[in-house]
Amino acid sequence: MTRQIRRLGIAFLVLYAILFLKLNQVQVFQAEALTDRPENTRVLQRDFNEPRGDIVSADGAVLATSEERRAALRYQRVYPDGELFAHITGFYSFSLGADGVERQYNDDLAGRTPALELNQLGAFLTAESSEGDVLLTVRKDVQTVARDALAGQEGSVVALDPRDGSILAMYSNPTFDPNVVSDNNTERASDAKVLFDAAEGAPLLAHAYRERYFPGSTFKVVTATAGLSDGSVTPQTPDYPVVTEYTPPLTTKSISNFGGSSCGGTLFAILAQSCNSSFSQMGVEQVGADDMVESAEAFGFNAKPPIDLPNPAESAFPTDFGAVVSRPEGVAPVNEDAPRLAQSSIGQNDVAATPLQMALVAAGVANGGEIMTPHVLKSVRARDGEVVRTYEPSAWRRAAEPSVAATMREAMVGVVTDGTATGMQITGQEVGAKTGTAQLGTEPATSHAWMIAFAGPPGEPPRVAVAVVVTNVSGASNQTGGRVAGPVARAVAEAALGVSE
Amino acid sequence: MTAPTATAPTDLVDSLATRRRTTELGLLVLAFIVVCGLYALASLGRNASLPANVGPFLAGVLTLLVIAHLVIRRFARAADGLLLPLAALLNGIGYVFIARLDDELAALQATWTAVGIAAFVVTLVVVRDIKVLQRYRYTFGLIGLALLMLPLLPGIGRNINGARIWVEIGPVSFQPGEFAKIALAVFFAGYLMENKELLGVATFKLGPFNIPDPRHFIPVLGAWGVALVVMIFERDLGSALLFFVLFVVMLWVATGRAAYLVAGSGLFALGAWFSWSRFDHVQTRVQIWLDPWVDPTGSGYQIVQAAYALAWGGTGGTGPGLGISGRIPFEETDFIFAIIGEELGLLGATAVLCAYLLMAGSGLRIAQRCTDGFMSLLSVGLTTLLAVQAFIIIAGVIRVLPLTGITLPFVSYGGSSLLANYVLLALLMRIADQAARRVAQPAVAP
Repeated sequence: MTRQIRRLGIAFLVLYAILFLKLNQVQVFQAEALTDRPENTRVLQRDFNEPRGDIVSADGAVLATSEERRAALRYQRVYPDGELFAHITGFYSFSLGADGVERQYNDDLAGRTPALELNQLGAFLTAESSEGDVLLTVRKDVQTVARDALAGQEGSVVALDPRDGSILAMYSNPTFDPNVVSDNNTERASDAKVLFDAAEGAPLLAHAYRERYFPGSTFKVVTATAGLSDGSVTPQTPDYPVVTEYTPPLTTKSISNFGGSSCGGTLFAILAQSCNSSFSQMGVEQVGADDMVESAEAFGFNAKPPIDLPNPAESAFPTDFGAVVSRPEGVAPVNEDAPRLAQSSIGQNDVAATPLQMALVAAGVANGGEIMTPHVLKSVRARDGEVVRTYEPSAWRRAAEPSVAATMREAMVGVVTDGTATGMQITGQEVGAKTGTAQLGTEPATSHAWMIAFAGPPGEPPRVAVAVVVTNVSGASNQTGGRVAGPVARAVAEAALGVSE
Repeated sequence: MTAPTATAPTDLVDSLATRRRTTELGLLVLAFIVVCGLYALASLGRNASLPANVGPFLAGVLTLLVIAHLVIRRFARAADGLLLPLAALLNGIGYVFIARLDDELAALQATWTAVGIAAFVVTLVVVRDIKVLQRYRYTFGLIGLALLMLPLLPGIGRNINGARIWVEIGPVSFQPGEFAKIALAVFFAGYLMENKELLGVATFKLGPFNIPDPRHFIPVLGAWGVALVVMIFERDLGSALLFFVLFVVMLWVATGRAAYLVAGSGLFALGAWFSWSRFDHVQTRVQIWLDPWVDPTGSGYQIVQAAYALAWGGTGGTGPGLGISGRIPFEETDFIFAIIGEELGLLGATAVLCAYLLMAGSGLRIAQRCTDGFMSLLSVGLTTLLAVQAFIIIAGVIRVLPLTGITLPFVSYGGSSLLANYVLLALLMRIADQAARRVAQPAVAP
């Protein structure tokens, strides 16, 4: 019997070794894959039962915080300002997931970054939890002005600091109340989402960085920069003819000026008047397809801006204008699609830009040709107040050489002192701007009203760049952009500079 | 085997007994510290505060352990020193996790633990000579079968969660199967010792196998068949598997004939195939075992959630009280191992595996040291019950085998299970004590 008993012992050993091996497989080797399975809601469940840091504005307002509840899910996310910051903070919902800063900086808010965990180790004895507060560059005062100035019109406002890319305000109307979609009651949250999805104007969509529009005449800043950069345009030459329309090669369809008016002249004059005929001619005859594409992409078109928010939209400029069909003396080569290039040069046809992108165009000119990476994060702070992470500004694109940028800056200041954007003048500040009126239809006449601008104390690098679009405005004249979007842009710039009346 | 129950010299027994009791006391203190630490941590993890009843809890645990230890000193002083501390550790871990999941069940489990220790004490006090059980082997056989069939009786049998393994008499409800397994182990040990020579002799040759006289098989096959039929009607697959293994292992250990293992496996395969082809619930179990993700929110839910719990725990676990509970049906009973794996991680789960393995080792060592065949075989049977039952349920939870719901000995919530396992433990201790006292002496060998 002794032999059998010994063998039985070995058999038990083998059986338990099998259990041990299988445990290793489940708990170690397959653990991550099992935790990541879509129907496994443990990660979510944990997150809603642990404290989460606040989202705080640059001027100290709490934009999102977690309140403890006596319920199945211990923490309810609350947004004290409701709709105001919805497109920046996003939402944090058990049933709908997360968006915006809540999603982008989830690990910091939940306290799962190495820096926060290390910090918590030090605070172990004081039983501090590791969640981090996310401090934004966004200012509540500027954001509030953006909302109030938009005054219920459909549209978007983006304001940023050209020197380091800090977003100061980013607001779109219509918007939504993140408190509702973040309700821990999954039924209420889902009902709210259905309602918002059906609502006119797509309130859940952060139009400011996820929706694209025709940039219209604001794009002329890019065309002018392209001309200056490749040397085909200077402040003195060419001197465009004063005409009512321009007919590109290979077509009989002309591009006319607003209201059939006549305009022309050198760079500063045609930018100040926003002359369609001159700029479409510049795009086709001076710059040419290749340099237009190059310059547009140098400003950030055809790429997702590296903003620290989820899923930014890519602004678009056409890259293919067909084969070169002729090389006339003294002007750029003519492509098959020259008529399309003419329209693209004034921000029509297939050109599409987010309000964020157009703010970056203004910022690039203001910052000596260098576009800084746009961002909303300033720093992450542990619960004990220690800053564990600070956003390091970095350059994203070089849109133009400093000399070209300086000329463009002068030209855009000219638009404010003596052009379509005179309404943008702010006492004691140097302001440069460009208006835009992207026509949508003629019956009835509707358009997107644009204003891009930069402002700051004279002689210093501008401190704020702004882009405003008011969408689906009735009427479409040369003045629409300045009249409708201008006051909003000015109010926001004033608030950012702290010179509001 | 007949001879000499020659008793070892008293001073030898004394020194052995002293050593073993000292070891036991030390290990009990260790188990006490581990369990109390876990209890405090689980409460801290869950409520961020120490449990309100921590004082009475400490006193209660200590009292029970001290009583058990003193009774062993008095009535079985030469018994093995590992078994009680291991059982106390497992029982304590089980209690901590039950308390972490459900306060009401925890109170009941505490009562059952006290009753279990009482049963342990009574068994040690009453059963002074294990050989007495051998005399009543057929009685035990009948008791075992009767207990097994009790739930099938109309009026008192209860069908709970698809298995008809409960008996309800007045206010008391229990699972007689838990006690039947001990009775049947006693019967088998006695019967096999009586007939082991006959069962070991080949009378026929069938192919490569030597088959003993079928007459000697009848009682074994009979008990086996009845047990299986009952299991099928009670839909208690886990217990059926446990009995199967118990019978085959005891038969093989007693006779040394590997043919019994082969025949047993063959019969088992036949039985498995039969029940698979005839019963939907068996097919479902196998289906879930093969791929629970076919229906992760329906039939596969329990197994899938157990896998998620284990994966969530990883190597070190979430920490006691910090896991996400409330997701696995039967997490206090059949699936408690998944919760332990989640909160104590691979390390804690492995510690539990080691505890069972050490108990099995101790049990088999007792069997080795017995000079008496019945005692030796009974320890093998009891040890097999313990080790294989733990294996079957853990294997089911972590998807090594199809899931068959039985309790995890000493850990799962359940009065019948706890009580029966403490009786089982007391019997093993009794055998160990007697074996130590009856060490055969070469000098007086016949």
